[in-house]
Amino acid sequence: MSIPASPEPAGQPFVAMQGVSFAYPTLTGALGRQILTGVDLQVKRGQLVALMGGSGSGKTTILRLLGGQVKPQAGTVLVDGQNVHALKSRELFELRRRMGMLFQFGALFTDMSVFENVAFPLREHTDLPEEAIRDLVLMKLNAVGLRGAQALMPSQVSGGMSRRIALARAIALDPQLIMYDEPFAGLDPISLGQTANLIRTLGDALGAASIIVTHDVEESLQIVDYVYFLAEGKIVAQGTPDEIRASEMPYVKQFVTGAPDGPVRFHYPAPEYAADLGLSR
Amino acid sequence: MKSFIEGLGHGLIDSVAKLGYAARLFMLLLRNSGMAFARLRLTIAQIHFIGNYSLVIIVVSGLFVGFVLGLQGYNTLQRYGSEQALGLLVALSLVRELGPVVTALLFAGRAGTSITAEIGLMKAGEQLSAMEMMAVSPIARVLAPRFWAGAISMPLLAALFSAVGVFGGYIVGVVMIGVDDGAFWSQMQNGVDWLEDVGNGVIKSIVFGLAVTFIAVFEGYDSQPTPEGVSRATTRTVVSSSLAVLALDFILTALMFSKG
Repeated sequence: MSIPASPEPAGQPFVAMQGVSFAYPTLTGALGRQILTGVDLQVKRGQLVALMGGSGSGKTTILRLLGGQVKPQAGTVLVDGQNVHALKSRELFELRRRMGMLFQFGALFTDMSVFENVAFPLREHTDLPEEAIRDLVLMKLNAVGLRGAQALMPSQVSGGMSRRIALARAIALDPQLIMYDEPFAGLDPISLGQTANLIRTLGDALGAASIIVTHDVEESLQIVDYVYFLAEGKIVAQGTPDEIRASEMPYVKQFVTGAPDGPVRFHYPAPEYAADLGLSR
Repeated sequence: MKSFIEGLGHGLIDSVAKLGYAARLFMLLLRNSGMAFARLRLTIAQIHFIGNYSLVIIVVSGLFVGFVLGLQGYNTLQRYGSEQALGLLVALSLVRELGPVVTALLFAGRAGTSITAEIGLMKAGEQLSAMEMMAVSPIARVLAPRFWAGAISMPLLAALFSAVGVFGGYIVGVVMIGVDDGAFWSQMQNGVDWLEDVGNGVIKSIVFGLAVTFIAVFEGYDSQPTPEGVSRATTRTVVSSSLAVLALDFILTALMFSKG
């Protein structure tokens, strides 16, 4: 498998975040907890990049920022040279047509069959005749190995299958940027291997920029070109998979080896244990 | 004391913010209603789901309300020897008040809850986010067809409720008790005004339909994406829309039927 591409692109990167900071605003306009602080990252066309980090480190928020679903308080998010958050909603929707996103649990429309789920973006955004839609849907389903499941309802397929169907739906319009939110969570080893291979081959076939949010270190290091490590909303390390494996940085090391305690603590911050139990005077 | 005042202030600010959010969503809903009419198939599917599936509860309730109106009305009217006016009493009660109000309350329980729960669960399952990321507005594709389907279904259901109710009053009053058949219908025909009574009843049912369905889609869209959040939102739909219907009914009645 071909690895690494340097993060410094020869041409313009397809995705570029510069100094992005973000906190979720509340209904009354006040800001909640700081999620991201000064994040810089870049992804080129044809490159597969992983965002790694513990739960709550802000990985998924980065995907939401790229899709323009939330707005940063500082910094810029460029996709294909366009500042996502300066776009009007019509322009943003135009840009989103060139993006595909795989949600953590697939997010299939439960009131539609597998076929209709994959056909959904085609029906919404194209005027293709029914026959062409059928052919395209079957091709996309074939690419994820589920052509035979077209008539099933989402409630009738397993978790791994529904994620593959969602992948077929995400690539229905041949996107130039594909985002994967925890594509490996909760999969059995066979589905996991299949999904990992699919992500690599689809990205290569479409020449798309791919971003994969994951904490599945081993599986993703085998397929990605470049890795960004996030901790508490900051990028604390980055490099090619080989550099990451060789890294001596305690945080990265703990993540790669899966040690229970280290810079990332097992215990949530709490008062002294004995004091909490009322044992100390 | 300080925390009490703080809590009061927070509650007030949150309520106002939520009201503002609801108003903004309402405007967005209206602006994004094009698809609901351009692709009528979407709205018709929802009318089938919302309207058709409410038929049983509306028809059965209408019939029983008509029975009770027939019985109670007869008991009161016969004291004054005016049981002939039973048809008029039943029809006026239904088209002016009970038809729109009871239908709206039943509609909130039957259809409003299912709209809220469906949208809330779509949100919890990230289906609305997925739609947004596919460059399809969930407000246009999911909320607007449901909103208009509810607004269209409600007056039709209220009309059906009133019609079945009149029939129920007829069964009890004429068939079972023996009020004169001709008097029952002719008094009704003479006493019920098309514009004043039926027309105002229809306006009420349209307003209730808009209110109940908007509350239902808003609560679903605004729900916390957790099982508890969706269940709370569903409860809020019933409570808020019932109160809204009763309050609106008072306002509309005052505007429509106050003489002078």
